[in-house]
Amino acid sequence: MTYPALTVITFLPLLGAAGILLLGRGQRARWVALATTLATLAAMAPLCSGFDKTKSGLQFVDLVQWISMGNVQINYQLGVDGISLPFIVLSGLLTLLCVGASWTAIRTRDREFYAALLLAETAMIGLFAAANFFLFFIFWELMVVPLFLLIGIWGGSNRVYAALKFLLFTLAGSVLMLVGMIALQVATPEAGLNFKQLTGTTLDTTLQIWLFLAFLAAFAVKVPMFPVHTWLPDAHTEAPTAGSVILAGILLKMGAYGFLRVALPVLPEAVQIFLMPMLIISVVAIIYGAYVTLSQTDVKRLIAYSSVSHMGFVTLGIFTLDQRAVEGAILQMINHGIISAALFLCVGMIYERTHTREIKDYGGVAKTAPIYATLLALFCLAAAGFPGLNSFVGEFLIIGGAFKTNPWLGAMAIWGVVLGTTYLLWLYYRMVIGEMNPGLQGLKIELTARETLTLAPLAFLALYLGLHPECVLSYLHIPVSELPNIIATP
Amino acid sequence: MTPVPITDVALLVPELILIGMALALLLVASRIREAGLATAGTVLAAALAAVLTIWLMPQSSVSGFSEMITIDGYSQFFKVLIASALGLTALLSVKRVDVKFVRPAEYHALLLLAAAGMMFAVSSLDLMTLYLGLELTTLCSYVLVGITVDKPDSNEAAIKYFLLGSFASALFLYGMALIYGATGATDFQTIALVLSESGLGSDPLFVAGAGLLTAGLAFKIAAVPFHAWAPDAYEGAHAPVAAFLATASKAAGLAALGRVCWAVFKTPSNQLQLDKLLPEVSMVLVGLAALSIIVGSIIALAQTNMKRLLAYSSIAHAGYALLGFISGTDAGAVATMTYAFLYVFMTLGAFGIVIALEDRGETLDGYQGLAVQRPKTAALMLLFLLSLTGIPPTAGFMAKFVVILNVVQEGYYALAILAVACSVITAFVYLRVAVLMYMKESPVAAAADPDETLSSRLPLAVSAALAVAALVTVIGGVFPGVLTSWAVAP
Repeated sequence: MTYPALTVITFLPLLGAAGILLLGRGQRARWVALATTLATLAAMAPLCSGFDKTKSGLQFVDLVQWISMGNVQINYQLGVDGISLPFIVLSGLLTLLCVGASWTAIRTRDREFYAALLLAETAMIGLFAAANFFLFFIFWELMVVPLFLLIGIWGGSNRVYAALKFLLFTLAGSVLMLVGMIALQVATPEAGLNFKQLTGTTLDTTLQIWLFLAFLAAFAVKVPMFPVHTWLPDAHTEAPTAGSVILAGILLKMGAYGFLRVALPVLPEAVQIFLMPMLIISVVAIIYGAYVTLSQTDVKRLIAYSSVSHMGFVTLGIFTLDQRAVEGAILQMINHGIISAALFLCVGMIYERTHTREIKDYGGVAKTAPIYATLLALFCLAAAGFPGLNSFVGEFLIIGGAFKTNPWLGAMAIWGVVLGTTYLLWLYYRMVIGEMNPGLQGLKIELTARETLTLAPLAFLALYLGLHPECVLSYLHIPVSELPNIIATP
Repeated sequence: MTPVPITDVALLVPELILIGMALALLLVASRIREAGLATAGTVLAAALAAVLTIWLMPQSSVSGFSEMITIDGYSQFFKVLIASALGLTALLSVKRVDVKFVRPAEYHALLLLAAAGMMFAVSSLDLMTLYLGLELTTLCSYVLVGITVDKPDSNEAAIKYFLLGSFASALFLYGMALIYGATGATDFQTIALVLSESGLGSDPLFVAGAGLLTAGLAFKIAAVPFHAWAPDAYEGAHAPVAAFLATASKAAGLAALGRVCWAVFKTPSNQLQLDKLLPEVSMVLVGLAALSIIVGSIIALAQTNMKRLLAYSSIAHAGYALLGFISGTDAGAVATMTYAFLYVFMTLGAFGIVIALEDRGETLDGYQGLAVQRPKTAALMLLFLLSLTGIPPTAGFMAKFVVILNVVQEGYYALAILAVACSVITAFVYLRVAVLMYMKESPVAAAADPDETLSSRLPLAVSAALAVAALVTVIGGVFPGVLTSWAVAP
């Protein structure tokens, strides 16, 4: 028996959570959480170094017989391919940074906080490592519980409303996915819901259409696509910083990942049928999200709405079905994970000092906090798609694909980029540049060493992926080219 | 009539153990002043009965008493379940039974007799014995509900339960008489044979009889529209009695209903007749299940008393459990059995928490701020609530998965979607309690007790019962095959 790398990575955080609940008292909880997240990240090293980019299919497969009831045979099976590996690493990294960001921000019931955070990490890693639909679904649902607690216990003033709204939206979507999954199991009992075997089977077109709609319900809520995005601003705004980071960094990617892992490979005919509607609602999300973002006065709400717009680019890229655009969409998922997490961290750090999220209460931050201003500038530019920073490459690939599919889509996407630059730079202008807001006098706004250290990896990644995007893209070439319906780029 | 061979008595050993212990308790009743001894006796008898049931587990079914009583996998499964529920209820009673108002010996003797009646009912192959078993159970239940003579609401509950219950028994009896009139038999095998040969399926006499019989059984499992007694009875009764009614009694009712339905489903010959009859039986079950799920989940939304909330939840769960029966396949029966098994433990757990928290009252408001004051109790309750909602990886999810799988397999897509949609409603019901526990401040300033150990506040017996329930809830979710793989259709 070989070393079950993925199982260890997935359940190490769970072990840490149990450890915290059992023995962590007082200050000890955050140290245990830090150690666990560091260990998890370290345990990913052999995964990255041992991964063979030139091989197709899953690697590091852990396979155990699990459920056997009547004709239902479902295995416990984890495995990674080039699409899931970057997300697993991103999940590990962001959870570590969340611990860093919560170091002083969380002062009440910190044991439960860190336990919930680590439980969420298990769910995230497990979801991306799942090699069958059943496990995927279990981790998908498991993710909801810790986030519900994170938002509802440690959130802002309207937290209970936000937490319940988040929970009911996601549950309403995922129960339909459950019915779809069961229908899939009934239609192909011998596949055992294994993604690989499901890809090989051809389903009846009508069934495919219904399944696509059922899965769409779940994925669209998580992405979130227009018009089921309304939970997102509330959840983001009320969540504590760590909650926002997990939400924006990973949870939003789950929906798009679901499209790539389930909808595209298993339901190729339905995808062709729904191509145009999906492209159109993606563009609507881009433009509508951008305009709504422009009108926000609350920093967190602004970044939350900008996510709607940015995730619109991702779904646009996926449903062009163009090889380069799909790769760009996946790269953009990673990029958005890095940048939106960084932006939420920046906002959370300054909020800890000022206790206000209103943009008008800020201004002239650059005068007292040069490091903060520099980092925020970097992240704002990256989010706006500035050349040389990471989002540029992703958006470029997506828009290229969109132009090939339909020039109008490309044009609208470019308009989305223009609006994105506007709201981000305007936000930066109002918060950081100009005269110092009198309300900020006397506050020590400059980042501490711990906070700078928390942001540094993200800043490095934003630069590195901008200059060398191939380090992610090279993982994607083979798995993306193996998706059905993909139009290969010569 | 041939004399009953003495070997037939061996079939009833588990029942005889329970009855023997009940009689023993009654004999020494005047000497028992403390609940402890009676509890110990009850648990011992339950454990013995369960062990013997497993030991008697046959390779193939054995019947005796002129084909009236059988030992088969189906009855043994439910007997073990009933014995477990009895044992846990006895353990939970330790805290609740106040020797000033309730005589412990009588109380436990009644529990034992009720359980013996259930066991008798689940192994019946004849309407007469089925009626006897169920009637023994209900008569004991009436007394148990009203056992605190000094409390008006307990008396009120008992009288309501008695009036409605006797009406249901009368319906059952009348249905039995009509079926006897139509077929000339009371044992399932002959009835089924007559049905298939003579085409009585559409005979009004038989249809009326079957309808009345179903109504009587639906009353036992509190399926809508025969559910009205449950909330009142649960609210007025002692919490352990309510737990016993909601779990063991419901499981026995389901078992009896399954036995009756399968007598028809499994009719050996004349497929033509069956094709006419089966859809009718299925339709009735679909109606009962759908109504129970809808009414149970929606009315639960409005509840402010924890026991009433659990009563409506148990009504909805009766509906979910019935989903397995509608297919008429053996896999469907196994699905319902799995559901019943897992449901019993998670519901006992939830009631156990209600019992553990009786000093905070039984209204929902009493749960405010529980997570700060008693984190472990709150965490356990959260587990049971998540399981009742059906969120993986808890037992409740697996239970829902198997029954909905069965529904989808039969092509009842609308019913499957209805069931999962209502599970979103129940999610709101249960998580409202979670919100109170985790996200609200307690109005009563009690000292926070982060190091609470369950045993410091609770008798060891109650903690043990909660631990067993929690263990089954977790194992049932993570390794679903382990606990219920021995379920066999009738």
